[in-house]
Amino acid sequence: MHLLLQILANGVLLGGLYALMALGLALVWGVLNIVNLAHGSLIMLGAYSGYYLFTKLGIDPFVALPISMVALFCAGFLIQRNILNLIARAPMFNTLLITFGIDVVLTYLAQMFFSADFRTTNPSYAGDHFNWLGMTLPLVRVLACGIALALTVALWLFLGRTRVGRAIRATAQNLGASRLYGVEPRLIYALTFGLGAALAGAAGDLYGVVSQINPYIGATLTAKSFAIAIIGGLESPLGVVVGGMFLGIVESLTALYVGPTYVDVASFGILVLVLVFRPTGILGATT
Amino acid sequence: MTARSGLIAALVVAALLAFVPWLASPVLVQFGITTLLLATLAQGWNIIGGYTGYASFGNSVFYGLGSYGTAIAMVQWHLPFGIGLVFGVVLAVAFALLLGLPVLRLRGHYFAIATLALAQVMTAIVSNLPIAGRNVGLVLPLLNGDKLFYELALALLVLATLAVFWLSRSRFGFGLIAIRENEDAAASMGINTTLYKVLAFALAGIFSALAGGIHAYWITFIDPVSAFDISLNVKMIIMAVFGGPGSILGPTIGAFVLSAVSEVLSTEVSSIASLFFGAVVIVAVVFMPRGLSDLVRRIRKAGWSYFSENVKAHRL
Repeated sequence: MHLLLQILANGVLLGGLYALMALGLALVWGVLNIVNLAHGSLIMLGAYSGYYLFTKLGIDPFVALPISMVALFCAGFLIQRNILNLIARAPMFNTLLITFGIDVVLTYLAQMFFSADFRTTNPSYAGDHFNWLGMTLPLVRVLACGIALALTVALWLFLGRTRVGRAIRATAQNLGASRLYGVEPRLIYALTFGLGAALAGAAGDLYGVVSQINPYIGATLTAKSFAIAIIGGLESPLGVVVGGMFLGIVESLTALYVGPTYVDVASFGILVLVLVFRPTGILGATT
Repeated sequence: MTARSGLIAALVVAALLAFVPWLASPVLVQFGITTLLLATLAQGWNIIGGYTGYASFGNSVFYGLGSYGTAIAMVQWHLPFGIGLVFGVVLAVAFALLLGLPVLRLRGHYFAIATLALAQVMTAIVSNLPIAGRNVGLVLPLLNGDKLFYELALALLVLATLAVFWLSRSRFGFGLIAIRENEDAAASMGINTTLYKVLAFALAGIFSALAGGIHAYWITFIDPVSAFDISLNVKMIIMAVFGGPGSILGPTIGAFVLSAVSEVLSTEVSSIASLFFGAVVIVAVVFMPRGLSDLVRRIRKAGWSYFSENVKAHRL
């Protein structure tokens, strides 16, 4: 029982970070109808930005979070504005392919500039942990999970309460009608993609603290983000949180009861099962 | 040029290519084997991705199953190479039938990502199987015969291209194109879409598995990561799309052109070649989304405006 509780806690902490990873993907998918296969690579870039800000400039990774987010926002804004807007009305397959191409370019640029070595952002308090209700909770994972949840709520408020947020939701619902109300779609598309990239940057910065990074982590992270977005549905950021926690718990349980080498079988197996039986997500609408 | 005369020209080129091992240096022959196998994979992807319109990111699974089927038959059961190839094909077809049935019900993004996930699941499963040597892999018996492997690879590519040629003029192929253009309409015209899709998936699987089996015996060593290499999907899709998805010779030509350029680039820095693949797909999707075959057909009339027309048609 005690072990199970610990495993569940690990899963929830991992799940919070997973949710943040998937949030940007779900936002871009829901609003722009682009499944961004380069999302994992943007997370990877966020992780390297955190790593280099810490090792070269000595900036604490949790302080560096806004810097990573701004940097990735700019990158995402430029990618959408200069490349993806050019094919916004092309068939779905073309957008998949082009983000795939961007993913390849980012991965190998990272390999050239950052080398293929494994890295970890390793602040002095990385090994600290505290005990709560008999569970051992690593400090950085708790912080990462807390920040991930805070950003999720922030996104929810932003989309619901601000002018730009409303414009983004209007674009998602009906591009033509939102145009009539004075929304400039090229700008809104670029802003939305930039926002998705900024969330990826934040997730990457935190991921670099709790796990190892290299230039090739993108593909797996994209697939996991997709799995979470599918499980949680695209309607609201809160669904993504549930999806993230679900995947985190399943992975922790699999690692303990089946074996650590089966973690990917479980998470991607669930993805396939959900896709086949409930393509609108576990929480999504039934139609 | 009609499809038939194009095919005859291609067969003449293939007959000439068959003499390459006796004339060229060993390095060139090895490059030839790799290129021919990649072209076969691109042609296999063309069947499911180009003709049927289902963007599979999981064709590397067929390739991996072909590699492992051949290796398991030869190493664990001491069977001859030919039977190993057949066993690999059986595995791939079984996979296509069993998993194609549920996965091919998905459309668009969902199908693409589900196949991508399947590719990752298969890597993980194979690295846990004792009979497949877990994550260490298998070592096949050594056979020094680059000439033989070259001719096998060439024959396989010719076979795959003939199959695609048959698709382009058979009832089955027209059914696949109808599914690509409008699946609901195709179904209402009386096409058994599920059967057609699964058969196309299996056909793509047969050629990819044979390519995997030949590659495994040629390289004599396989492990899960290299056999189920996801970047192989990247290459076959890029080659097919660059050459012209849904055309007969496009994917093969795309594979030849891109392999040659990437070989030249990778003599400088190996990561440049991969970077180049990514850049090609971005540029190709923006400026020539229907591939080389469409470009060649239309550029004489349209000139440079061919590219700007493509951009104008799709930008926001």
